Amino acid sequence: MSGLGRLVALFFVCVFWLAAQPGSSYVGSNVCRSCHPDVWANFFKNPHYKSIASGKEPPERTGCESCHGPGQAHVEARGGKASIIAFSELPPKQILDNCLRCHAETLSRANIRRSSHTLNDVVCSNCHSIHKSPVPKFLLAKRQADLCYGCHPDIRSQFSLPFKHRVNEGFMTCTDCHNPHGAFAPTWRMAARPRMTDQALSNEEPCLKCHSEKRGPFLYEHEPVRVDGCETCHYPHGSTNSRLLRRPVVFTLCLECHNGADSFGRQNGGILAITASHNLADPRYQNCTTCHVRVHGSNSDALFLR
Amino acid sequence: MSPQGMSRPTRYFWAASLLTAACFGQPTVAPTSEPVGPVRGENWSDYNVVDSFETGYRFRTFGGSLDQYRSTVNYGDGVRLLSSFFTINSKDGHGKYFDEIVLTTQGLGNDPYENATLRIQKNRLYRYDLNWRLNDYFNPGLRTGGQSGQHLLDTEYTTQDQDLTLFPQSNIQFFLGYSRGDQNGPAISTIQLFNSRGNEFPLFENVRRVRNEYRIGNQIRLFGVRFTWTRGWEDFREDSNYLSGPNAGNIPGNPTTLSSFQRAEPFHGTSPYWRGGLFAERKRFSVNGRLTYTSGERAFVLDETALGTVRLTPDARQVLTAGNAQRPVFAGNLTFSFFPTSKLTVTNQTTVNNIRIDGNSAYAEYDNATQAFSYTDFEFLGIRTVANETDLNLQATRWLGLFGGYQYSDRQIRSTEYSNTSGNIFLAPSEQTNLLHEGQFGIRLKPAKGLNILLDSAIGRANRPLTPIADRNYQVLGGRVQYRLKTLQFSASSRENYNTNSVLLSAYASHARTHSVDASWTPRDWFALDAGYSKLHLNTAGGIAYFASGQFIAGQPSIYVSNLHVGTLTARFDWKKKADFFVGYSHTQDTGDGRDTALLTQLGPALAPFQAAQTFPLRFLSPMARLSIRIREKIRWNIGYQYYGYNERFLNGEDYRAHTGYSSVLWSF
Repeated sequence: MSGLGRLVALFFVCVFWLAAQPGSSYVGSNVCRSCHPDVWANFFKNPHYKSIASGKEPPERTGCESCHGPGQAHVEARGGKASIIAFSELPPKQILDNCLRCHAETLSRANIRRSSHTLNDVVCSNCHSIHKSPVPKFLLAKRQADLCYGCHPDIRSQFSLPFKHRVNEGFMTCTDCHNPHGAFAPTWRMAARPRMTDQALSNEEPCLKCHSEKRGPFLYEHEPVRVDGCETCHYPHGSTNSRLLRRPVVFTLCLECHNGADSFGRQNGGILAITASHNLADPRYQNCTTCHVRVHGSNSDALFLR
Repeated sequence: MSPQGMSRPTRYFWAASLLTAACFGQPTVAPTSEPVGPVRGENWSDYNVVDSFETGYRFRTFGGSLDQYRSTVNYGDGVRLLSSFFTINSKDGHGKYFDEIVLTTQGLGNDPYENATLRIQKNRLYRYDLNWRLNDYFNPGLRTGGQSGQHLLDTEYTTQDQDLTLFPQSNIQFFLGYSRGDQNGPAISTIQLFNSRGNEFPLFENVRRVRNEYRIGNQIRLFGVRFTWTRGWEDFREDSNYLSGPNAGNIPGNPTTLSSFQRAEPFHGTSPYWRGGLFAERKRFSVNGRLTYTSGERAFVLDETALGTVRLTPDARQVLTAGNAQRPVFAGNLTFSFFPTSKLTVTNQTTVNNIRIDGNSAYAEYDNATQAFSYTDFEFLGIRTVANETDLNLQATRWLGLFGGYQYSDRQIRSTEYSNTSGNIFLAPSEQTNLLHEGQFGIRLKPAKGLNILLDSAIGRANRPLTPIADRNYQVLGGRVQYRLKTLQFSASSRENYNTNSVLLSAYASHARTHSVDASWTPRDWFALDAGYSKLHLNTAGGIAYFASGQFIAGQPSIYVSNLHVGTLTARFDWKKKADFFVGYSHTQDTGDGRDTALLTQLGPALAPFQAAQTFPLRFLSPMARLSIRIREKIRWNIGYQYYGYNERFLNGEDYRAHTGYSSVLWSF
């Protein structure tokens, strides 16, 4: 082959190579806006607009096409869901994979692949509305609690009970205690459950973020508090009982463990049972916490009297 | 624009917004949930501004137990900034100092629940977030047999979190953060003096608790792997004031009296921590790991002196405790995810946790009656858990998905406790290991468009849980059906939890059932309906042992039955975008085991207080209505009413009924 022939061959190789590059079928977000003005009108408020404003991102990470893929075929087909990545048509795993291309590598999403939400096909687009979010942060599809209530009506019911953490009132949110993207195994219980409860920064149960006086460490720990967590005695969402307790009165709660059962502890190899001096027929002894005021742990009394 | 004049997407958007507003749990009547419309806001220079303020007067009339009302609802009278919302966004993403400011508030003025959030960010340069909250917390304490509780807490809790991220879109990011929480206010508690047959005396407290946390961190992306580290210092302390004085005690007829009392009990704790993580995701696998270490410690002092009489004999008790408790906590996780095919994900996580609670302390107690000192050492508690979990998630076909998992967990608890048996003082070491095996399996079905069916189950076996009520032999069965169309959402779910934990001298069994149905219907863009019902049913039977009138009673089961029915109904009507009418009703009823009276000899122990507590029927209901009328394009007038009624069937001492409401003006553009 002559030198000219080699040049022509090289030219065609380059043309074919360039045509095969993914960047060649990207059209840019300005093309999308002409047919989707309703989406574009508010897009400057969208966090994803940063990729356009930056001007430094490659086409596959810029604007509309960073999520919906190259738009050339879609434009040539004059629209249609078959010619572009339409999230409403994607199976859940593909939606997750698409979003995680940019959003995977953070500590808060480290467990998303094994989270209960993912296992139950609840992926990004179930809770986030990328183009029509009615709330100012995180592109949530609804107010956070209402989103969670949508699939957890039993939890919604618990927050309608007389005693509850103030979620409906706006003081707290579900994510104060839970990580909807999946949490690490809890440090305060056996690793089985719960799967979606977030840890405080210092590896504690999230309750202790606010209830810091119960954090300890105490000279005399009440072992179940450390070993099995606050849920041993309390319902964390809501309860018909004061102080979110699992029983309406305190002595029935205490006695279910303090029955001298063969377990772990200081007396007879079991949990300390009440002594003969406690006459349960006398109302004085029916409110255990009247005397045992420091049931979460004490620095000066093994029986939590002060 | 009339609904008929709207474009189809806009109508759907309005419909979705109405649906959004309808899906509340037990809503509070105020602030007004403003319907979110299509594009709004006004342009100012290179920015777009959206603003909204709702201010008005909240009222309350009331009858019954104010303590219980304040403990469960707590809204009062007065003028409020019920809510506000402000955003400003640069239109091209190149603002000079900022690209976005978002400010939201709720309840400012004097509501018991207030919050404010602020976000300021400039693309590529910084992002700042503030979240501030206040809770007016009132708790009258536990009650038994209709008596007033002897513990009371009337505090104000405020908390704030501030986070600053530098270069948030860069491969190298820096983080700074600060969090604070403080709780202040009066409290009443009790102190038991001077011996086990003594008396209880009221103890007044001025609660002062503060928590501060500072954190700094960095994230680097190198060769496709992201590394992150955070160094934090958490500082928490309490220096509450305690006060008590001459008192005959809370037990009528008890000869023990108090003439003088003094206590100081400050503590100061710190939890400095390190946290590191790494992440990498490739086409066929991802890996992430986390290591954290917290070297927590807490210095404490208790200095207490009490003077009084025990059966007309003067007595004194002096207690001095000082020490430094330590709790180093190590936690590590390593997770591998594999994607052998596009339909299968296999994830394995290994977890190690190690907590050691130890320290040094000096305890001295001097009793005038015996003229003796007693001392004790710090008690040790160590918890070490190793766990491994593998999950498989297979999307077999477009309509069938399967998932399953197995988990193994090994927990060792060690303690060294102080023991005093017949004057023979020694340290008693204990050690216990619990092994847990759990298996999970679930099926996902999508037999038709919009219809999702989910069935899941778990079974677990633990050989030595810590407490008699902990999970030992448990099964979980659950199912959920969801059907979604554009105007209708319907879901039903059911879940059953069984647990048995029977050991020597004790038997425990629990069965919890939760059944829920929920529907949201928006047949027209001016009408939305939401209804939900849940039944939460719990039965437990636990072996108890106790003394009653000198007799030891054992072998009786304590049977507890709770049968909760919770229903909510909300409806929303919109009249030509000029008036918005919202009605809601929430009803909670615990029917217990169906008893009409507290006492029933067949249910558990023979003692009357037990029988009164084995089931505790009550009713809590809250109807509400709200009308919002558009006065001008940017102004709405709102008025609302909400009733709260609380009624216990056996003991009526804490019942209340409250009429609450508000009238407000909402200005927005």
